[in-house]
Amino acid sequence: MAVLAILLTPVSAFAGELQQQLTSESVIQTIMKRGKMKVGMATFVPWAMRDKKGELIGFEIDVAKKVAADLGVEIEFVPTAWSGIIPALIAGNFDAIIGGMSVTPKRNLTINFTAPYAHSGMGIVANKKLAGNLAWPDGYNSSKVTFTCRRGATSCTDTQKLFPKAKLRQFDDSSLVLQEVVNGNAHAVLTSFPKPTLWQSQNADVLFNPTLDKLTEGNEAFGLRKGDPDALNVFSNWIMVNTSNGWLQERWTYWFTTMDWADQVNLKK
Amino acid sequence: MASPFAWACHRFRTPYPNLDVKLNHLWSLLMRVKSKSRLTRIIDAGVIGSAIFLVAFVIHKVDTVMIYDWHWGFLWEYILRWDEEQQAYAPNLLLKGLATTFRLVIWSMLLASMIGICMGIMRTSSRLLFRTVSRLYVEFIRNMPPVVFIFVFFFFLSSQFVPLLGIDEISVRASPQTIAILEVLIGPPELFANVISGVICLGLFEGAYITEIIRAGIQSINKGQTEAGQSIGLTRFQTLRWVVFPQAVQRVIPPLAGQFITLIKDTSIVSLISIQELTFLAQEVAYSTQYVFEIWLFVAGVYFCICYSLALFCGRLERRAQRIY
Repeated sequence: MAVLAILLTPVSAFAGELQQQLTSESVIQTIMKRGKMKVGMATFVPWAMRDKKGELIGFEIDVAKKVAADLGVEIEFVPTAWSGIIPALIAGNFDAIIGGMSVTPKRNLTINFTAPYAHSGMGIVANKKLAGNLAWPDGYNSSKVTFTCRRGATSCTDTQKLFPKAKLRQFDDSSLVLQEVVNGNAHAVLTSFPKPTLWQSQNADVLFNPTLDKLTEGNEAFGLRKGDPDALNVFSNWIMVNTSNGWLQERWTYWFTTMDWADQVNLKK
Repeated sequence: MASPFAWACHRFRTPYPNLDVKLNHLWSLLMRVKSKSRLTRIIDAGVIGSAIFLVAFVIHKVDTVMIYDWHWGFLWEYILRWDEEQQAYAPNLLLKGLATTFRLVIWSMLLASMIGICMGIMRTSSRLLFRTVSRLYVEFIRNMPPVVFIFVFFFFLSSQFVPLLGIDEISVRASPQTIAILEVLIGPPELFANVISGVICLGLFEGAYITEIIRAGIQSINKGQTEAGQSIGLTRFQTLRWVVFPQAVQRVIPPLAGQFITLIKDTSIVSLISIQELTFLAQEVAYSTQYVFEIWLFVAGVYFCICYSLALFCGRLERRAQRIY
């Protein structure tokens, strides 16, 4: 017994040190010490957007504010260009991405994801003149059909998966993605709800929805830097608690199924 | 006979009464500015006329090809908004972004000039070490696309050394007065690190071009001038300060002005690394409201106004420099 104890002591001492080091290096410690949580996000209706006062509002703004309030710290949003949001997280510009980012294996290789806090659905909106006679969904899977998508967004890979034969044109700006379809330079675009219905109602005489079904279902989660089990645990459990008590669902319903918030933003009619 | 202006005003249904008469008057004034031969006038008229026609044609084409309802009314609220609580007007996103752009421009102009002057002098130095250092700097930056440089700089360098400056500490520890001063100079405390990395990035980038301008300025002065300076016993520095520089400044101003104007436009590139300047915040507004084209046209107009007024100012400076030296 004594021999065994002597043999094990250095190992357990080392493990203890490692554990301490991991805990003290966790982003949770940084947040608590700073008294402020820095959240990276990108503007995307209705996840996060600017109201008439220039303040941020939206589904994930509510989420991030509640996370901070529950941790007992202040919140600071770091608006970040979507294409650079993962490098910015890794570079340490903020503590976590709460930006409606869907979990994909590729992204997961560079950052960690928590449990999902939202399940967006991808819908479709199409140009009446170009796609009016196309049969849904088979008619859209043809080399004569052009789709648009926002570079780096999940909709690009989804389009390729669902309509492998169709052409795909990528833009950096989600509004240009829509404008190309409105102008009749592309047939259709996949985008996450509520945009398919929102865009259709904004351009009712040009656009239509071939279907209102969810074509794919996404899993949106917080993005964290690798090698931080504490943060992963804290945020995942926060999401679990707020899923089971219905808070996340209630906020989701408000932002995604109603338009009660539309007059806070100067949203195009 | 109906003038071309009358026809155009009728064709585009301008809401302004007598616009064609006023345009006609302006036209005849323009034509009278310098006494020119009849042929030059006709050629001028042809060129200007076809330019106007081209612009009108493009506008007309865009109007028919692009299906878009223009709305401009929402824009003003994002520049200045009425604050109910304070009972006063408060700047909104676009104006805040413009302020950040100005701060970026001023500080990075200063930084770029300092780097440019040091490196430019080193570039003309007789020591190999100095020449090599500044040559490496210039070639490294000039041969890289700005976007790539900005990304490399921001994600590899800035994230390493900006925290070392302890900017977050400053905004927590400094006295309210210091913060107030810094707020005027740099912007809101939570954006200190953001703006400073933008300034360093732009300063380093534009510094390379200014280095070349300064080098060209110094080297364009006849060698005889330096030799004359040294032959009356001036040191190398004195020769530079009292003989070469005064002559070089005059030659350097026009290209330098061009470089500063480029710098103003280049500030929009740092929106890619999320520096909260005009372009970035305009993008935010565009995404939120979905009025994309109105926002971009407005932003283009703002940049044009700033750059053009700087160009006018520099033109004046140039004429003054000519008078002094």
